Amino acid sequence: MTTPIKRIAINVGAGYVPGLNTVISGAVLAANELGWEVVGIRDGFEGLLFRDRYPDRGLVSLTPQLTATLDPAGVLLGTAVRNDPFHVRTINADSLVEEVDQSEALLETLRQEGIDAVVSVVGSRGLTILYKLHRKGLKTVCIPRSTENDMAATALSFGFNSTLSDTVAMLDRAKQAAQAAHQIAVVEVLGTHAGWLALQAGMAVCADAVLIPEIPYDLPKVVAKLQVKAKAGGTYGLVVVAEGAVSAEPDTPEETAISALKAALSPLANDYEGAHVIQRSGYAAETVALQLQRLTDHETYPLVVGPWVKGGVPTAVDRQLGLGYGAAAVRALNTGQTGVMVAFQPPDLTLVPLAQAINKVRTVPANSEFIQIARSLGICLGG
Amino acid sequence: MTTSKQPTGLILNIQHFCTHDGPGIRTTVFLKGCSLRCKWCSNPESISLKPELAYKRSQCIGAKACGLCLKEPCVERAFYVVEGEDDRVHVNWDLATDCGKECADVCPTGALYMFGQEMTVDEVLAEVEQDSAFYRESGGGITLSGGECQLQADFCGALLAEAHRRGIHTAIETAFNVPWANVEKVLPHVDLVLHDHKLTDSDWHKKWTGVDNRQIMANFKRAYETFPNTQFIARTPIIPGVNDYEAHIRSTLALIRQYPNVIDYELLPYHRYGESKYEFLGKVYELKDFTSPTAESLQRLQAIIDEAFGRSGQPAEG
Repeated sequence: MTTPIKRIAINVGAGYVPGLNTVISGAVLAANELGWEVVGIRDGFEGLLFRDRYPDRGLVSLTPQLTATLDPAGVLLGTAVRNDPFHVRTINADSLVEEVDQSEALLETLRQEGIDAVVSVVGSRGLTILYKLHRKGLKTVCIPRSTENDMAATALSFGFNSTLSDTVAMLDRAKQAAQAAHQIAVVEVLGTHAGWLALQAGMAVCADAVLIPEIPYDLPKVVAKLQVKAKAGGTYGLVVVAEGAVSAEPDTPEETAISALKAALSPLANDYEGAHVIQRSGYAAETVALQLQRLTDHETYPLVVGPWVKGGVPTAVDRQLGLGYGAAAVRALNTGQTGVMVAFQPPDLTLVPLAQAINKVRTVPANSEFIQIARSLGICLGG
Repeated sequence: MTTSKQPTGLILNIQHFCTHDGPGIRTTVFLKGCSLRCKWCSNPESISLKPELAYKRSQCIGAKACGLCLKEPCVERAFYVVEGEDDRVHVNWDLATDCGKECADVCPTGALYMFGQEMTVDEVLAEVEQDSAFYRESGGGITLSGGECQLQADFCGALLAEAHRRGIHTAIETAFNVPWANVEKVLPHVDLVLHDHKLTDSDWHKKWTGVDNRQIMANFKRAYETFPNTQFIARTPIIPGVNDYEAHIRSTLALIRQYPNVIDYELLPYHRYGESKYEFLGKVYELKDFTSPTAESLQRLQAIIDEAFGRSGQPAEG
């Protein structure tokens, strides 16, 4: 027989998206209607893993009165850089740093605190962590949050709409600056594996070209587009590049010789692999800008939107979505659901088992309506 | 002859013809396991004390052509393919447990492989002694590196003792963040100790490496004093914005110049050589926006060292 829920906790996984407080408010208000008590775990799970670091022992009492005072743009509970109780970095008695599995200790602390279930606002990686905790017995309902809208099984992750709006605002400014300077602005936006943000924001500002990870780009096609525009009297350009966009013809397809120094200092490394993920922010924009400058008559300059759009005020859509996700998570727990993620599958909020939500990335399909629209608008997609 | 009673070590790699890890041409044996978590680490595969899975996506031939790892033997479902991309496999590193090498074994192209291999003293030396002719000509030898090689103190001690017995010059690269008991097992068999002196300020040391430097500083002094016939060379990896300031260099010099067996102090400019391996292991490279130190910065710090060691060069300002 299932134990009735009386007390739940909310935590926020690693990473920040605008408006996390609205999700918290949604869950608190819905739980209050059921007569449940709600507490928030500080900084991911760190509030419960390192309780001595917090004057309130890592738990915040969340009431409707408190949520009424919350700034929608803030995050009351904080987030953690890492949020993985299976690999908690610790210093042992010999002063050696090591990673220790403290998942059992975490679950025991939750039991001791009388916490019957956890609502977690997480990204893709956090989803796997919660899946593992659920397999160990944790009652949990997850809420998807992503600035890139790359989480599978939901059409809209919390935070994406705000990120999109802010990115559009930044692109508008970049476009105006490019117009004034008669140059080509190459703007890098978030999107390692999925190009939703670049595609939708690029469409919104009618960029000349949008390069996304799903379509390896052929730069001469972008050049042709810009040249047609220039012949028609255009004096500037705007190219939007997702940070994970890659050329259809990589510069270094074969492994290059490794210097003796490199081999000595870092054996088993190579020169080209990892560049895509590891290169500093701005690498994609710099690469494309440099090549376009070589291939066109225009001067180009790279810009990076990057983390600028990870903060800020949530949009009306995200406020509604956040409240809806929070309330839906509580509703799910009240009906005995656990080990699931709330998903927005228009027009409904539904539940998806965590096992079906992990190991997937929501990428832009080749037949996506957004791609068709972008092509209809004359936006070059580089491929 | 290999005997089953020999201690074994977890070896990451044996690198031949090294010229930056001690005198002459050397063979560097990289051991697995580290007791620090330096954010600039260029050998992330050396951190764990266990064998661990790695993945080179460029060598995967895809789910349609292969897909073996998507079937057996991974019960954790750590491998998957992303729709809309090519069909090469992704690894969910939070599900991969490094449980064994079965998944690496089924991969026909070597895209999945394991970092770390158990080896005996004789097995390591058989590989090392392939270079013995070069040692004689150049004054080289064997260097143990890591990770922190002194974490595997029993193995290191046995390996270096046997190398000595065979007339091979021995060196280690270490950060000294180990219990003194480990040091006592290793250093009696070492001719040259190349030891990091990363940060003088203990709080900053903790911030950038994960632990304060109290044990390290205590080990430095005790090692210098306990092993007066062993040569030491201090080294600082220069990371811009972290430790590229004069006070750290001068503080290090103030310590080491008290001991005649500390024969030099070297600066190692920060490099990004190891970044590709972070992706192989699914780890986050936290310093991806850091750059190497400028030549001017290095020259300025080097001048301070040269002056302290009485070498000719431009006098340091200030």
